[in-house]
Amino acid sequence: MEQGRSIVHFVNVGKTYDGERLIVDDLSLEIARGEFLTLLGPSGSGKTTTLMMLAGFETPTRGQILLNGQEINRLAPHRRGIGMVFQNYALFPHMTVAENLAFPLNVRALGKAEVEARVIRALDLVKLGGFAARRPAQLSGGQQQRIAVARALIFEPELVLMDEPLGALDKQLREGMQYEIRELHQRLGVTIVYVTHDQAEALTMSDRIAVFDQGKIQQLASPTELYEKPRTSFVANFVGDNNLMAAEVDTLRSDHLCSVVLEGGAKVIAVATDELMPGQKVMLSVRPERLRLDPDAGAGTSSRLKGVIEEIVYLGDHMRIFVRTANQVRFLIKAANKEPHHGLTKGGMLTFGWSAQDCRALPV
Amino acid sequence: MTVTAITSPDDSRSIKRELTRSLRRRKLQAFVLVAPLLLFILFMFIYPIGGMLLRSVYSPDFARAMPATVAAIAEWPGSGTPPETVWAGVARDMLALQQRNEAGPVAAALNVEMSGARSLVLKTARNAGKLTAPYREAMVTLDPMWNDARIWQAIKRLSSPVTPRFYLAAVDMKVDEAGSIVSQPEDRQIYRSLFLRTLLISGVVTLCCLILGYPVAHLLANLPLRISNILMIFVLLPFWTSLLVRTTAWIVLLQKQGVVNSLLVWSHVLTDETRAELIFNRTGTILAMTHILLPFMILPLYSVMKTVSPVYMKAARSLGANQFVAFTKVYVPQTFAGVAAGCLLVFILAVGYYITPALVGGESGTLISNMIAYHIQKSLNWGLAAALGAILLTAILALYWTFNRLTKIDIIGLG
Amino acid sequence: MALPAYVDRWERIWHWVYLTFCALVFLFLFLLLPVLVVVPLSFNAEPYFSFTEGMLTLDPAAYSLRWYRDILQNGMADPTQLFSGWSWIGDAWANSQWIHAAKNSIVIAIGATILSTLLGTVAALGLSQSILPGRRLIMALLISPMIVPIIVTSTSLYFLFSEIGLANTYLGLIVAHAILGTPFVVITVTATLSGFDRSLIRAGQSLGASPLVVFQRVIMPLILPGILSGALFAFGTSFDEVVAVIFLADYDQRTIPRQMWSGLREQISPTILAVATILVAMSILLLTVVELLRRRSERLRGLTA
Repeated sequence: MEQGRSIVHFVNVGKTYDGERLIVDDLSLEIARGEFLTLLGPSGSGKTTTLMMLAGFETPTRGQILLNGQEINRLAPHRRGIGMVFQNYALFPHMTVAENLAFPLNVRALGKAEVEARVIRALDLVKLGGFAARRPAQLSGGQQQRIAVARALIFEPELVLMDEPLGALDKQLREGMQYEIRELHQRLGVTIVYVTHDQAEALTMSDRIAVFDQGKIQQLASPTELYEKPRTSFVANFVGDNNLMAAEVDTLRSDHLCSVVLEGGAKVIAVATDELMPGQKVMLSVRPERLRLDPDAGAGTSSRLKGVIEEIVYLGDHMRIFVRTANQVRFLIKAANKEPHHGLTKGGMLTFGWSAQDCRALPV
Repeated sequence: MTVTAITSPDDSRSIKRELTRSLRRRKLQAFVLVAPLLLFILFMFIYPIGGMLLRSVYSPDFARAMPATVAAIAEWPGSGTPPETVWAGVARDMLALQQRNEAGPVAAALNVEMSGARSLVLKTARNAGKLTAPYREAMVTLDPMWNDARIWQAIKRLSSPVTPRFYLAAVDMKVDEAGSIVSQPEDRQIYRSLFLRTLLISGVVTLCCLILGYPVAHLLANLPLRISNILMIFVLLPFWTSLLVRTTAWIVLLQKQGVVNSLLVWSHVLTDETRAELIFNRTGTILAMTHILLPFMILPLYSVMKTVSPVYMKAARSLGANQFVAFTKVYVPQTFAGVAAGCLLVFILAVGYYITPALVGGESGTLISNMIAYHIQKSLNWGLAAALGAILLTAILALYWTFNRLTKIDIIGLG
Repeated sequence: MALPAYVDRWERIWHWVYLTFCALVFLFLFLLLPVLVVVPLSFNAEPYFSFTEGMLTLDPAAYSLRWYRDILQNGMADPTQLFSGWSWIGDAWANSQWIHAAKNSIVIAIGATILSTLLGTVAALGLSQSILPGRRLIMALLISPMIVPIIVTSTSLYFLFSEIGLANTYLGLIVAHAILGTPFVVITVTATLSGFDRSLIRAGQSLGASPLVVFQRVIMPLILPGILSGALFAFGTSFDEVVAVIFLADYDQRTIPRQMWSGLREQISPTILAVATILVAMSILLLTVVELLRRRSERLRGLTA
């Protein structure tokens, strides 16, 4: 990507706190101008450290971070002009909402009239017009969140970082705020780098998602691709529900498919995701909603298994059925509640299957 | 945490070096901030306390004042009459002291060892110019007390700069004429009973504070915040009122012509002739100290009680306990930390109290602090004062340390 | 506290005993003593420490301001000239014992407060960093003046100051009182800093403020109430201190508590009650200021709305 399209470039960035363990390991990542990029991963995967290095609160041990083509490794945070929304909002408790919003403008020595106008505009932007004189402690969590977002945007940074900004909100509020942040992003065209450990949030909001584990990006892709075509078993498991089966590659076929042998000896056909070798250990991944309860009815079912129903959980729009096969693999099946499922009882036998296109063989 | 080994060991070492350096820099920065106060406290507080403690075992003043005597008396075994060189040394030193007008401290020091020695020394010093050899005859003629072997033994004891005698004196013991450690005679034993009295009064004051403070702290912790904040001001008001004002108030109340006695006379409980002695004795000390130290009990109790959720009491009631059982078995044990902190704080403060006992304690209500002050200001027996202070300080530090180890409660953080 | 409906009679009685007990403790120990006794008696027309017949019947003649006048007169070259003309002001300012003591108290307390607040605040900034080696030991050392009995501190300083020439000087007293006051500053400021949300510093930086601006506009306003209340504690400690003054001060450096001490030991007169009343008024003022500061600090830290 040439300079115009890429705003941030991580080049082989590494970070260690003790000289032994790499919290971030040889990370290379380009962030496009105007995109909404989410860093997703479990705690300790290096996503927050990556964000903090970009913000300037941590210094990379090696490698380079470029902002608009300039190296910023040792640039002080306050000279970077990057907006940031903190996990607990970090609104200044001794200032009113208006003073909080005016803070970044005042330190940039903007004129008084300009500051006032921008504060009013920012408050309107987050729909909190009448709250200028309040103190942060007098606002609800959702309102504080919006002020924090407005404060990070008010000095019109090209790039805004958000560190688990919705973590402290309850579920319903969180979904509303996800929508609002997404809308602000589209309206203002600002680049957003967003850190979360919540995969549903990442899928809802992002243009692209970088899945972090062990200090490395496991996969960088759009939400659809990440869900439909996970490249590693970690990604398959971390993003969405998943059924995993240990298997061994038997033969490779020309059409990106391969034949694998399950631990019990059964042979199934799966999509070969990578350069696989015969005899290689793999993990088979099938999404629970792609498992079919009536494998004989539809065309394209290439593999079938039999098991005992352990539990049926009714969830209104769908049912979750837990099945244990003869070789003790536990499967989760999500069955849409569009036709009555007769004869499904706890303890009963069930035959289920899937299409080869829905089963991916992932290198271990 | 993420575990990925750094590939090159060289690389790892240089990174570690860099990290250690930046860690050291940050430690140094933090230390630089603390350093001014730390140095101030070390040099202006810890160092002088050390110096004072040294005085309790190290007393070179006598040896410095009587150099000739000290040099000569080292030869004397300690029994019988000392040789003429010692007598000559005393005569020479006395003359020098008289010329410098410094016989007083020597007389005082010797008098502590043997009563009556003060006048002997002063008299000898006054007449030192007239003494001629042989000095033994001249000095015995001047005062036959010089013939007493005990005075020479006392001089020999004092001539050693490092001495246990102050600590011995502080626990009512002494080195007798024969050089063995014995108890002071019954009528001269004061310090052991004074320490005991100090502990006793402090204990009683602590107990009174607990009895008065516990219900009040409970009330404060359970009232709505608006009301308890106002009541808290009343608790804090005496805290902020001058100690002397509060002590004055007690004198005004309790003295013979004071408010309480007048009230009792007016209500015919007492007559003018039988006005009660309420102050300038132990009662006065206990009353006034309880009042003055009460906030120090209430504050830690309150801060602990604030954290005890009322749900526990409700749970106990729902499990079948009545109010009394619920309170004693469920509530009170949860406040032990506060009780311990409050009691320790009050006790430590009471043990070292000076002002109030000095003003309202009279004869029977004075504490160890008052005795220390007496020896510093009046009797000038600084070594003994230092020894008493050292014992007091050690006791308090030991108490504080034990408490900290046992409970891990920071009584200091009660602000 | 209202009692729930289910309590039985004994619990009800016990509850009232408890409330009465608390009320008595409040009334007698906290209110009555310092205020109700000292204040009216300071207006006594007679030189007694007990209520006269006239005072009890509220006879105006039994009350007077003579002891308040005496505060000024005591030590004046010409006490009869009080309130006539202007020259008495200079006389009282120069010669009145109590004014002399008040001047000393204020000079020493202000000096000790400045010294202990400066040293204590800077030290607390260092102590609040968990990286500091030997933090517990350092903290224990810095707090130790609170634990060591005042008599031990005073006598130790007496010996040291006699050697280095600080005995009977203002500087010596300021140093001594600063030693006693620093623990309060260290404790209050450390407590404030421990509640300080460090992400506010990062937020300030991310919004474009340099470290200096962050310190001025974010850190300082938030910890200032803690510093001020520590300073007030230090001031109060110095203003009320008498033992160190007894050992380390001469007549020239005599403070108000020292003057009261001699008054109580020697010729006890109701002038002391008048002084005490003024001190009570001052402490109420001081306490109000502290309480307002505390509320402000809580509001700023978002603890209450």
